[in-house]
Amino acid sequence: MNVQPDLEFIKYLKDAGGDTLKKCYQCATCSVICPLSKDGKPFPRKEMIWSQWGLKDNLVTDPDIFLCHQCGDCSAYCPRGAKPGEVLGAIRAYAYTFYGWPAGLAKLASSAKNLPILIGIPAVIIFVMWLLSGAMHIPTKEHFASHGYQQFFGSWDFRWYAKNIFFIVLFMVPAAGLAVLSTYMGVRKLWRAMSEKAEINPAFRPSVMQFVSDFLWPSLVEIVKHTRFKECTVNVDRVKGHLPLMLAFIGLFIVTCWSLLKNDVLGLFWPSLHGPLPLYDPFKIMANVSAVALLYGAYVLWTNRSRMESEGLSGRNFYNWFLIWEVMAVGATGLGAEILRWLGIPSIGYIVYFMHLVSVMMLFMYMPYTKFAHIVYRTTAMAFERYRESPFAVK
Amino acid sequence: MTDEQGTSGAILVVGGGISGLTAALEAAEVGNDVFLVEKNPCFGGRVAQLNQYFPKLCPPSCGLEINFKRVKANRKIRTYTMTTVKAVTGGPGNYDVTLEIAPRYVNSNCTACGDCADACPDIIANEFNFGMDSCKAAYLPHEMAYPRRYVINKAALSVAGAEAVKAACKYNAVDLDMKTESVKIHVASIIWATGWVPYDAAKIDNLKFNESESIITNMMMERMAAPNGPTQGKIARPGDNKPIESIAFVQCAGSRDENHLEYCSHICCMATFKQMTYVREQYPDAKIYVFYIDLRTPGKYEKFREARMADKNAVFIKGKVAQVTPEADGSVTLVAENAVTGDKISQKVDMAVLATGMQPSLSIQGAPVALNLDSSGFVISDSEKAMFAAGCAKKAADVVTTTQSSTAAALKAIQVSRR
Repeated sequence: MNVQPDLEFIKYLKDAGGDTLKKCYQCATCSVICPLSKDGKPFPRKEMIWSQWGLKDNLVTDPDIFLCHQCGDCSAYCPRGAKPGEVLGAIRAYAYTFYGWPAGLAKLASSAKNLPILIGIPAVIIFVMWLLSGAMHIPTKEHFASHGYQQFFGSWDFRWYAKNIFFIVLFMVPAAGLAVLSTYMGVRKLWRAMSEKAEINPAFRPSVMQFVSDFLWPSLVEIVKHTRFKECTVNVDRVKGHLPLMLAFIGLFIVTCWSLLKNDVLGLFWPSLHGPLPLYDPFKIMANVSAVALLYGAYVLWTNRSRMESEGLSGRNFYNWFLIWEVMAVGATGLGAEILRWLGIPSIGYIVYFMHLVSVMMLFMYMPYTKFAHIVYRTTAMAFERYRESPFAVK
Repeated sequence: MTDEQGTSGAILVVGGGISGLTAALEAAEVGNDVFLVEKNPCFGGRVAQLNQYFPKLCPPSCGLEINFKRVKANRKIRTYTMTTVKAVTGGPGNYDVTLEIAPRYVNSNCTACGDCADACPDIIANEFNFGMDSCKAAYLPHEMAYPRRYVINKAALSVAGAEAVKAACKYNAVDLDMKTESVKIHVASIIWATGWVPYDAAKIDNLKFNESESIITNMMMERMAAPNGPTQGKIARPGDNKPIESIAFVQCAGSRDENHLEYCSHICCMATFKQMTYVREQYPDAKIYVFYIDLRTPGKYEKFREARMADKNAVFIKGKVAQVTPEADGSVTLVAENAVTGDKISQKVDMAVLATGMQPSLSIQGAPVALNLDSSGFVISDSEKAMFAAGCAKKAADVVTTTQSSTAAALKAIQVSRR
């Protein structure tokens, strides 16, 4: 076998938190200790040697790198301090950039030094939109009390489509659309690469229905229940942060959908439905509970990560922190804007709301390239794992 | 170095195992006075516990007996058993050392007739056999114990036991009122030959040492295979004495592991090869599995490895055992990943031997003086202070290497005495 080590790739992994990878001496303790690694061909021992040898192609086509939940059990038992869990995290960071589309944006989102640009792009876009909308003024307290942020981008008389919605849709939908497109491209590339690597004959493909019912749905159920995550022992505390965080995202997704329906569809027929929801409204309760759960979850993960870093169990890197900061920013500005509305301070409220829009847009835009991408890539790998073992996977 | 004038020239050797014996004899046989101090009731150390030792696979009686004979014949060596170093003052060339002698409760009248043990009703776990069997509270540590004198574990002795032991002795050798004694000696230099202890296998939690009798350590295997051991040399599964149909050796049990002993213990691969021979002699058809990271054969032992690997019924798996499950039928299942094939392997065996490593004694009990120790607790020789390390107090090593380093330490100590 002719091994072509990719030195740049090794260097990337070392910078992205995998600085310990060269310490591994292949004792394979990790593969046995790992609570998530299946019998047959376990991980992460093989990933460690591929990393040391710079065998990038083996790694990015390996579903196991996404099946790893970074429990840290392997790192705790590692006799050499090679921290396989951290190395696999770095490999995933690389994979998100590798599969990211467009490549330029993916690369931009992979480094802390680009943070001013990453924040700058949505901030400028939204600010320009605010200027273009002509609504550029801070409302009176009375107006703020009755409309909240619903006329941030002003209002017009055309009742079939509110001006505020028009402007929000103008930048949020393209941002989300780009994310969806990029994710689709990345997942498709990953699926093909994994199938090819596993030498699965593409002639016997399941139907969409079969794919959903046999592979995707069971994976989603597993994810929502955190079945695998809970098998971690050393670092199982992360479930206490991740589970509320995930449920909060689901809750906020439902609230957003309802809000859209209520304001933009039902509101057309019953204009009284416009305006902020009262606190006792079930959806408002759900929104607030989700916001608190979001902040709590992010707080748990934040403190957990800080503790691991102070104990030397984990290195400090942009890849891991960006998502925590990002989620924290979305939660804090969202809840902050709401509290400022109750307090009736429109000036600061509008600034915080602006920051909320910026952070939400960042969440959409950079989702496919940052750690947030795990929601699609890990789900894909879990579905692939089922597919690989199904009768469809004919070699 | 004028302050070193008037040195007594004597050398203190701490530890009476193969290293301490060697260093003491080397120094005494060229005319130096030597104090040889051992904390156990008899000399011989870890080598005495082995069934066979390298390089020629001799029984320990072979090498130890001649050393004991030389010690007995040499008037320059003063021996102390059950003795520890309490304090060291002064400087190189002029050390004042306080020794503490624990009570043996048996005086020099003892002829090792064994009547006290016969009469003693109290039973204790046999430490020499790692607790695999028991002995009387009045006992001879082992068959070839030197000095050949009984010792009494007074704490384990009942009132009736004390009476019985005293009454049984025809020579008035039992003295249960013996007190701890303190002795002051004056020496020029000190050789630390404090040796090693087998690493505590219970600390390696994923290997479940305490959860099944079928899991033993390599040192327990030595005792089991030894004719004077708990099973008179018969290798069988502890607990139910089942003959061995399959056995696994778990290499690097706690060695080369920064969570346990960060260094390679140097001897465990060879010990396993040696113990494969013990098993093969008794069970020509037993399956032997060896789980390893790397097989290390220091020195000239490569052929020894080749011979063991040619065994048709021996399977070598490159992969460290990281999970052990004790089974209901008394067997154990070991799990490892074969790093060559990438397959996860579960192997059920009758018995598992953990190849535990060497931990320097001083890293556990602490040094009685401010010694220069490395991060693992091995002694670093300091010529300026006339403190020298020998044997496994210096580094993990086999008997040959140990005796070489002891001779080297003796030479350094002699140089201090003659400065």
